[in-house]
Amino acid sequence: MSEIVLQTVALRRTFGPLVAVDNLDLKVEKQQFYGFLGPNGAGKSTTIKMLTGLLRPSSGQASILGLDLAGNSVEIKRRIGVVPEGLALFERLTGAQLLNFVGRMYGLDRAKAAERSAELLEFMDLKDSADKLVADYSHGMKKKTALAAAVIHGPEILFLDEPFEGVDAIAATTLKRLLQRFVAHGGTVFLTSHVLEVVERLCTHIGIVQNGRLVASGSLDELRTGVKIAGHDGSPLTLEEIFLQVVGGAKQDVEVLSWL
Amino acid sequence: MGANNHFTLLLALRWRLFVNSLRRGNRRSEFGAQILAFVLGAIVVFGLSAAFFGGTLGLLNTGHADFLDLLLWAVFLIWQLAPILFEGYSPGLNFREVARYPISFRTYFLLNAAYGISDPAALACLLWLFSMWLGILIAKPDWAITALAAFLLFALFNLFCNRVIIGLFDRFQSTRKGRERMVVIMLAIMLLPQLMQLATANWASVKRVKVPGWVLDFITPVRQMSPPGVVARVLLLDGSDKLVALAFVACYGLLAWLLLRRQLQAVYEGEIYSEGFTVKRELRVRPGWRLPGVDEVISTIVEKELRYIRQNVRMIVQFVYPMILFLFLSFSGTSKRFFFTRSSTGLLAMLAGFLLLSLPNLAYNIFGMDGESFGRWLLCPLPLRKVFLGKNLTHGGILAGIYLIAAAIVIPVSSVSLLPAASVTIGFFAILVIQLGAGNLFSVYWPKRIELTRMSSRMASSAAGLASLLVVLPVGAISGAVGLAAWYCHLPWLPLAAGLIGLAVALTLYSYLLNRTVNYSHDHLEEIASTLGA
Repeated sequence: MSEIVLQTVALRRTFGPLVAVDNLDLKVEKQQFYGFLGPNGAGKSTTIKMLTGLLRPSSGQASILGLDLAGNSVEIKRRIGVVPEGLALFERLTGAQLLNFVGRMYGLDRAKAAERSAELLEFMDLKDSADKLVADYSHGMKKKTALAAAVIHGPEILFLDEPFEGVDAIAATTLKRLLQRFVAHGGTVFLTSHVLEVVERLCTHIGIVQNGRLVASGSLDELRTGVKIAGHDGSPLTLEEIFLQVVGGAKQDVEVLSWL
Repeated sequence: MGANNHFTLLLALRWRLFVNSLRRGNRRSEFGAQILAFVLGAIVVFGLSAAFFGGTLGLLNTGHADFLDLLLWAVFLIWQLAPILFEGYSPGLNFREVARYPISFRTYFLLNAAYGISDPAALACLLWLFSMWLGILIAKPDWAITALAAFLLFALFNLFCNRVIIGLFDRFQSTRKGRERMVVIMLAIMLLPQLMQLATANWASVKRVKVPGWVLDFITPVRQMSPPGVVARVLLLDGSDKLVALAFVACYGLLAWLLLRRQLQAVYEGEIYSEGFTVKRELRVRPGWRLPGVDEVISTIVEKELRYIRQNVRMIVQFVYPMILFLFLSFSGTSKRFFFTRSSTGLLAMLAGFLLLSLPNLAYNIFGMDGESFGRWLLCPLPLRKVFLGKNLTHGGILAGIYLIAAAIVIPVSSVSLLPAASVTIGFFAILVIQLGAGNLFSVYWPKRIELTRMSSRMASSAAGLASLLVVLPVGAISGAVGLAAWYCHLPWLPLAAGLIGLAVALTLYSYLLNRTVNYSHDHLEEIASTLGA
């Protein structure tokens, strides 16, 4: 059996009366490319924030790389990489300065941080913009910089919150290349995304969350087996069809929006 | 939809944003602090209104009407300079964003002008012009109607002119080169009062001032043809000359209107301020700094902080300004009038005081410049305490460095003896440590996002500014009491002993406040992050 690198037990987070994440039980194994899906407001980002130390859980337990999150947050942070929702880039630094800074904050020595920064800038096609302020980068460039910052220290797990949102096809290809390389070399990826085609193509395992609860989980084939659709022609279900079945489809017979 | 409706919508939007902001506890305390600042500001403005009224009445009744332009000069300078110096205290609407909505250019222009007239400095200047007009109405009722026309045109000129200047500053602030130029401009603006004071002090010390003829030949026409001078001439001249002068005032207004129109047209049509540039060279990333005797991570935090501070013009000005003010007070002819500058020890204490007063802008909102990148600190594998320590080391190091360099000059030049020099220096460090500890706590209680590219972005919250009194007043009272006791009881060693005790207390207090700050931060991560990212 593969090594479990991420596990949550009854993880819960409330904001006043709102329950954002409700008794979430997750298991992610090493080298899995885990797609965490759900409609807007389902609790995906809240879950990632809790798993990466940006938010305290209200109750429940989480362990990452066999370490309890509550008591080992610094050690866990050292071994994971994160692309958070808002990217959290120091935009008044240049791309090169930022990567250098992040590398050193993760404990790399000066020479190694500089060397890896240069390699990452080259790989991400940011070479010509290395001395530009991050504030002047396009959205796609910022996403690439954020991913470079997440991997500079050689993490074992990557947490990515909507890494492909607002990214053009060329930048998305670069991001995908890096992630596939990361998993092939023994890393684990945990990502949220609204782009179901990308998730279907990249992810080996999928979890679907709705109203803060995990409503489906497993490999794509396992999900296909688990979801039954009346009247389907027997061809394999797409992830979009599975997703809509699990979380509920779009509204039919729209009688509002009469002006459109 | 007309300009009126758009303006109403904008007002409603501001009101809604304000009401919604009060849902947060820290915003309520911020609002309370702003009300207090508003009340104090209103007292000053109304006091000056009385002075403008009395001044106008006095000049007209004593036959010195030709000096009326000096009062108008005061209005002109304050209207033009105060909104720049106090831009952070206005609501700070970004007109580049307003231009995204489907509004006509005419509406856009009117919104901009209406926004300008609602600036506190503009409102104060209008009140002062009205006070002057009341003085004219009482002393010279015949002039009232012409004065009203001239003052209205003068107000419009000031309004348009100020909007042009604010637009230029916004533009400067948006680019790296512009920010560097702004350092010079801001320093010049801030130094103007000191230069004037120095000049008047030197003139006062000379019994009979003989102004060279060529200076008068130059100043007199400039004074007469300047906007305030022309407005004064509208009042003083008769017949057709009066109308010509009035036409001149209108021309000034028209010129400012044209400039503003040209500037706003460019923004309306999508002019983008960008500091982007491409460097074509071989990629080579230089390794970061390594500070001697400092942990690698702390060294990295210090490097990042210093890079950010370097980009903040106002912050650099605030570091330089106390030093320049100190030099002026020390070497101007008025120095003997000030308590602190009568003795060499007082001079050193004044230097320390000036520097410590500049600290809150930096240390009372330590995540302000990070904005939404605050989350990056939480992602890094290090205790939050280390981030605070790194930032405090940077801010404290800058202040301590400036103090030590300046003290190294002041002590030998002013012949400060060893005991007082040591007392003041230890006292300085004790207060510095307390300020940093308190600043950490205020930074997480009332975080405030600082927009480096916007003039309207303040360095710290009003609540933190008010809370700084909780530090400054007791510390000032204790320092004063110790100084008095030492002088009265002839105990020259007392300040040194008190300084050492103070330093020990300060370090204990800093440690306590840091623990409290870290605990509070962990309990309010989401709130702090969302406030900084907003």
